[in-house]
Amino acid sequence: MSDRLERVVVTGVGVVVGACCGIDALATALHASSSLAAGVESRSPYHGEGSATQGVLSIGVDLSPWVPAATGRRMGRPSRFAAAAARMAVLDAGGAAVDDPTSTVVMATAYGAIEATEHLLRVERREGPAMVSPFGFTESVANAAAAHIAIATGAHGPNLTIVQREAGALTAVGRGALEVASRRSRCALVGCAEEMPPILHAFLDRFNALARGTATMTEAARPFDRRRNGFIAAEGAVVLVLESEREARARGARIRAVIRGFASAFDPTAGRLGWGRGHVALGGALTRLLERTSTDRSRVSRVVSGASGSIAGDRLEAHVLHEVWRGSTLPPILAPKGHTGEYGGGFLAAAVLGATQPNAGPTVGFDEVDPDLDVTPHGGGELPASDVTLVTSLAAGGAASWLLLEAV
Amino acid sequence: MLSSPGRQQRRVVVTGLGAVTPAGWGVKAFAQAILSGRTTIGGFTRFDHVAQRTHIAGEVPPEPPTLRRVRGWHRLSNTDRFAVGSALEASQQAGLAWPLADADAAVFFASSTGGLLETERFVHALFDPGVATATRGLLASYSLSSPAEAIARRLGVTAAVETVSSACAASALAIEQALRAIRRGEVEVAFTGGSDCLCVTTYAGFNALRAVDEHPCRPFRADRAGLSLGEGAAVLVLESLDHAVARGAAPLAELMGAGASCDASHMTAPNPDGYWAAEAMRRALADAGLDSSAIDFLNAHGTATPLNDAAEAAAIGLVFGDRAHAVPVEATKGVVGHLLGAAGAVEAVATIVSLRAGTLHPTPESGPVDDALGVDLVLGRPRTSSTLRTAMSANLGFGGANAALVLRRWSEESES
Repeated sequence: MSDRLERVVVTGVGVVVGACCGIDALATALHASSSLAAGVESRSPYHGEGSATQGVLSIGVDLSPWVPAATGRRMGRPSRFAAAAARMAVLDAGGAAVDDPTSTVVMATAYGAIEATEHLLRVERREGPAMVSPFGFTESVANAAAAHIAIATGAHGPNLTIVQREAGALTAVGRGALEVASRRSRCALVGCAEEMPPILHAFLDRFNALARGTATMTEAARPFDRRRNGFIAAEGAVVLVLESEREARARGARIRAVIRGFASAFDPTAGRLGWGRGHVALGGALTRLLERTSTDRSRVSRVVSGASGSIAGDRLEAHVLHEVWRGSTLPPILAPKGHTGEYGGGFLAAAVLGATQPNAGPTVGFDEVDPDLDVTPHGGGELPASDVTLVTSLAAGGAASWLLLEAV
Repeated sequence: MLSSPGRQQRRVVVTGLGAVTPAGWGVKAFAQAILSGRTTIGGFTRFDHVAQRTHIAGEVPPEPPTLRRVRGWHRLSNTDRFAVGSALEASQQAGLAWPLADADAAVFFASSTGGLLETERFVHALFDPGVATATRGLLASYSLSSPAEAIARRLGVTAAVETVSSACAASALAIEQALRAIRRGEVEVAFTGGSDCLCVTTYAGFNALRAVDEHPCRPFRADRAGLSLGEGAAVLVLESLDHAVARGAAPLAELMGAGASCDASHMTAPNPDGYWAAEAMRRALADAGLDSSAIDFLNAHGTATPLNDAAEAAAIGLVFGDRAHAVPVEATKGVVGHLLGAAGAVEAVATIVSLRAGTLHPTPESGPVDDALGVDLVLGRPRTSSTLRTAMSANLGFGGANAALVLRRWSEESES
């Protein structure tokens, strides 16, 4: 194996986000002036009075073109989303060597297969352990989605499931890219999968993580906005196909973006449930990523921000960016979680689009600058020519991940 | 230009170990238990199991009083406590002064349950609101990433903190991630391992699969009838050899290499021919720059389910060829049970304990070895050897995830 690292590119994207199947459907939705959110089953036994009512859900979406019913009925919902997204990504990549013996799968999930776990516990409690389904248990494990991707595609390389809350998706991309860059894996299927059943939605609501409507404003994610009060929870899956640029060019593949760099860090000032105030140290880690990849800040032509509408999360995100740019004007900032919600991979697909497209839709939910944040996200329309795009994810609990994507 | 500082293939050594197992809190209790060959699997009280099909497990005893004085201890889930307890022991043995310099240390950790036991209490309270109260605090450690974050918060880690949740191979895969990060020069030090706690979901689930033995598990035995669940954690401090030498640390072992693969065939059943499990072992050997003849013993996954042990034995046959019958096999789960996401880390610690003691630990004697498997199981009594130098630890998980590590005993000659 050569010590020299390969350049890694994205050649395929598969998307199941809300009602959107496929990257083109998501691209269209991101240009709309409304989010992908719809009503959730908020009258479940878990929701309390006045709880949040919105979510980006993939209920009733027809996945049968990618996962036949006979196969899908043996899967939990996150596995179905993931297997469908993987097959879309493989088709989109058009001939990538995903079934090579070395090809790896690295998927992220923030919460795992909650519905299967809840069902198991309910049956165990109500009907007794003898009635627990072995099928339900096997689908309750966090790595079910990654395993089903491997089964669906024949990827026999390392099979990893990363759980790092909101930072997991970018971490999965970064780790998969490093596998390809080091030539241990010829190809990587990376991304994330999530489901948002009522019980999880209600849990998040109990921790005041979700956006709430008030007498004066609707329930919506408002990234960077002064009035933000939480995020919209989402489900779905996004899978990217990664391979070396050398191999992609040799087979004439369409290259969607180059993965220029990846870094992750931790903010130990964060509590178990929220974001900390360690913007100086996190800014240092992000600065080191830029230096290590010889990326002058002036080359960062866009930021695809993980800001979700969370009060503390968006504050930390803004302060980290200001720490890195130190008084200079920030690049145009896209905040797609206003559309896609938090979790489920919509953000990851939006990042790939955001890194390459000449224009972007408006930042849904943003209306009023928060003076503490001093960030005005992109208002929609044309963007400066794309060079390097910084993609950010700061997670509750302290983890942080960043990707640098480069336009071709 | 996905880049690293370009310091690939740096040597990586283990300078600290920590373990919390059904044998007690600390590596010493664990080492004594495995070398004695007496099982710690028995009755347990972690949750009400009267209605379950089986009634035994490997349960961690209460923590020593000194740990209860750790700030915030009472708020941690059991899984987080096992993780933090192991990490504190490992960092103390490694002699690391905290906090380390900015960005020098990372956490690559594993968990399959996280705070699921406490979450179950919350959910049960929702199901039966008159019986218990669903307090939010029970949910605070739900995330599978919580153990890693608890360690990082306690030790002031500022570099990567990442959690792998790939079933029973998770902590071996996390150790591989740590190895690669140090080799690439991302960090100098990594806390790696895994932690899991007994809970209703896994206990009822494995019983639903009819994968749990009513008696303490008997890996590789002719009458084996399933696994025994356990709980606990293990942490290994990995660091670059250069870093360890520079600060005068004494390495315990060298992590020579790691490899992984996926069966990509079935959610629960391993590939019966063992081909892809063998491939993980071969990849670990290749990563270590060794061939199979260098391996003096194998610490096997050895769950004691009929299918797992048969597939693993087949893999051993593929990797070791004519030597397969002569490579001693340790099966740690016979002593402490199956620690799920922590299994790979606990078994890596067991492997290092054996390397350093020059003694292979036995699995408790209870029934004849399955001759059809053709493995040389260390059974009943420890085996002492002056030539133990290099060993492999293997793990196979749900979803076909396979992982293997190659470890070498550290000696004065190792440095050159």
